[in-house]
Amino acid sequence: MTRKQNSGQKLNRRQFLTGSAALVGGALIAPGLVFASAPKKPKEIIVRAWGGAWGEALKAGVADGFTAATGIKVRLDFTEDNEIKPKIWAAVDQGRVPPIHVNWDTTTNATISALRGVTVDLSDLPNLKGLLPLAKPIGLKGYPLVNTYAYVYVCAYRPEAFPDGPPKSWSVLIDPKFKGRIALYDDGIGFTPVAVLVGGGTRKDIPDNMEPAWQFYRKLKKNKPLLGEDADFTNWFQNGEIDVACTISVNARAARQKGIKVAWTVPKEGCKVDTDGLWVPKGLPPNEEYWAKQFVNHALTKEAQQKWCSMLGLPPVYPGIKPPPDLVGDVAYPTKPGDFKNLLRIPSKVLVENQPKWFAKFNEIFQG
Amino acid sequence: MTGSRSKTVVLWSVVWFNLITLSLPTIIILGASFTSGDIVQFPPDGFSLKWYGKLWLLEDFKAAFLRTVYVSVICTLISIPSGTLAAIALARYRIRFRTALQVYLLLPFTIPLVVSGLGMMIIFGEIRILGQLWPVGVALCVINLPFMIWAVSATVNALDPDLENAAANCGAPPLQAFLTVTLPAVMPGVITGALLMFILAFNEFLVSLFLTDARIVTLPVSIYNSIRSVITPDLAAVSVVYIVIAFVAVWLLDKLVGLELFLRSK
Amino acid sequence: MSSDKPAFKYPLSWRILDHAENVAALWPRRWSPLTGYLLLVPALLLVFVLVIGLVYIFDYSLHELDLATYRLKDAFSLVNYHVALKSTTYRTVVLRSLGASFIVTAITTVLAFPYAYVMVRARSSGTRKFLLISLFLPFFIGQVVRAYGWLIILGKEGLLNTLLASLGLPPAKLIYNYPAVVLGLIQYMLPFAVLLIAPAITAIGEEIELASESLGADWVQTFRHVVIPLAKPGLVGSAVVIFTLTLTDFAMPEILGGGTTDFIANSIYDGFFQLSNPGLGSALSMILVTLGSVFVTVLFSLAGTGTLVSRENVR
Repeated sequence: MTRKQNSGQKLNRRQFLTGSAALVGGALIAPGLVFASAPKKPKEIIVRAWGGAWGEALKAGVADGFTAATGIKVRLDFTEDNEIKPKIWAAVDQGRVPPIHVNWDTTTNATISALRGVTVDLSDLPNLKGLLPLAKPIGLKGYPLVNTYAYVYVCAYRPEAFPDGPPKSWSVLIDPKFKGRIALYDDGIGFTPVAVLVGGGTRKDIPDNMEPAWQFYRKLKKNKPLLGEDADFTNWFQNGEIDVACTISVNARAARQKGIKVAWTVPKEGCKVDTDGLWVPKGLPPNEEYWAKQFVNHALTKEAQQKWCSMLGLPPVYPGIKPPPDLVGDVAYPTKPGDFKNLLRIPSKVLVENQPKWFAKFNEIFQG
Repeated sequence: MTGSRSKTVVLWSVVWFNLITLSLPTIIILGASFTSGDIVQFPPDGFSLKWYGKLWLLEDFKAAFLRTVYVSVICTLISIPSGTLAAIALARYRIRFRTALQVYLLLPFTIPLVVSGLGMMIIFGEIRILGQLWPVGVALCVINLPFMIWAVSATVNALDPDLENAAANCGAPPLQAFLTVTLPAVMPGVITGALLMFILAFNEFLVSLFLTDARIVTLPVSIYNSIRSVITPDLAAVSVVYIVIAFVAVWLLDKLVGLELFLRSK
Repeated sequence: MSSDKPAFKYPLSWRILDHAENVAALWPRRWSPLTGYLLLVPALLLVFVLVIGLVYIFDYSLHELDLATYRLKDAFSLVNYHVALKSTTYRTVVLRSLGASFIVTAITTVLAFPYAYVMVRARSSGTRKFLLISLFLPFFIGQVVRAYGWLIILGKEGLLNTLLASLGLPPAKLIYNYPAVVLGLIQYMLPFAVLLIAPAITAIGEEIELASESLGADWVQTFRHVVIPLAKPGLVGSAVVIFTLTLTDFAMPEILGGGTTDFIANSIYDGFFQLSNPGLGSALSMILVTLGSVFVTVLFSLAGTGTLVSRENVR
């Protein structure tokens, strides 16, 4: 009996020692395992975004969901996309931490930054699988950025100012009846290629002969347009400051949702269609870079794409999502190839090489 | 003021015009911040304190506010010794090239603010301190230093040089004379200057625009960014905070040195 | 000679002061004429930061932007100055800024002078205090918040247009144009002007005005021939400050201008951040600095330095 007890005790002690060793060893390794699978969470992720309806859509559609899933706060920074570019470039050049974690940018801007080598490759994100081909950037290796949706620079107008129906041509912008009541983006983005067509040129003239556009702009300047950013258009429609504008449908829809009577159309010369995307700058600390990429990954989930893009009213890159009820069949929500017929899509390469020149020339004409 | 009726009428009508122009924005913002509606307009759409409630819950607002306080404190702390010593040196000590040095010390005024901001952004970037908050405090001190020197100069010029001679006569070594006679005498100027520096740093916008980014944004830049993107009445509530601080500062300035100091001739 | 008096304890503060004196005594007596320069060193170093910044900007302005890589080329070139000086855009911007500076200086001086005069000559200190507070409050509230207030006042649905509508008048376009910017600048510069003119008026004793009137001049003539000439130092100082501040202003044209009334500072900002061309932005900066300095030098040589430079009072 004693023997049995003894051996029982011995076994117990050995078991106990082995057990506790395993426990301690496990306790030491386990955090390592946890660390290996998810780096330390930063206090917040800063995402550059456009203001007004855009920021609200990103917050409700992507950021809030990300915060709920990971507990990391998301802060939106409303610095203009053109302005953050040199700041990020300078930070990367000087080996400093960039000011933001994720940049919600136009595909053109993102491509310029990608060519400069300041973007982090996103190819390993799991949610890239199954997205529409629109999501992959053209002409770049891998995924230095991810396109997230498409949009159209429509001709938005106040129906009360157009009792005979929507404007049929962009030349309404130089109609003296609307002097001081028209608006464009402050660098001419979204309109300059179309201006070539309104000015009498053809699609073949883009980008080698932009003179018809410059001539149209010179006429347009006499009509005293307001120049601004996304949120300005919504404010201007809301406050009754403008009658017609070339702006992304999102801004007009935002005013409409606040009860203002706004509509939009694609005039006969057409409208520019483009994409926006997300990218992550280089130089972030490894844990912050990891979570920044997680944010981008989250933005590509079905729920995020659905909520985000339906709030914006734009066709997403996640396949199979139905348009919001007020945009079924709308010109600003192109989904089928036929919808793109009257829309102008300029290849990224052309935009990257020419858009800065177009911005400078626009600036020259309108500030001069 | 002496004089005829017409003089009073003409001058005072200009004064009232100025008063209205100066205070109208303040009153409007105050009024618009109490709106119960969702867009900024005046007269406000109903009365409500809801935007003030939202304000304190805004983490971003609190963070930007604290950063502004931090930056202003650094600016004031650096400016007090450098500005005071410079003012005393210019007024009391024998200095050749006095005018040249005075012109040099006025450079923060003569160099346009936008150029100063850009220059400092470039230098701070080169020495890799851009993106931190304390250099912003140093930068704000640099651009506002002439104010500090000016404030202390006003008091130093009024100081009787014989007081220091008397102290030396009583056996006080130079540092002690400085600390026990000169410094207390110029204290009103130093306090005025310090208060001015703090308020100017607190309100400073343009140089901060160049030197801050989303991680370290200060309140004036944050307000500016918000005006450009999203104008909701909580912006009016934030502005009211500035108005309140301005009131406090004016009251403090008056209590400490009296606003009439600024009317005195040099 | 009682021995129960406590021994005198040398206070700590005196001990510290003695050590401080020993440190101060390290400054050799031979160099005591240079003490002034020593005291100036911290301030000189701080301002030196601006000088270095200016040097960098000058350097940047001499390099052209390589559009392929978006970096400044290594070679020295004057192409930025060429663009800045020859292009009609920038010429318009410069003329616009200069024009605004003259207009704002003129109007603000006219508005500020009576205010300063009334404030200095006010009999009751209550009036004076009220006027001073009304001046300092906007000064301490800051440019951005006040511009925001004017946005609300001048907007389409703003205060003024609501007023016009109630009077049955059509709404006016009061904002996002040049006059709005000029108005914004005038109301922003007003406190500066008053504070720079007031000391000069204080220096004019009231008896001089009384003397002039007792000799038969009415108040307008007294103003024209006595008060204003004697207040010249204040007017000069005020004109210099307002001119340079308006010429170099950024926030008002940006917030109230609607994007089409860029001043030089806005063009500089756009050069750096919209066009990503530090070379061009720097060239414009150098031009701005030159313009400002030229004007200040011209005015100072014509009219003296006014109330901006303090007097000497060496022991």
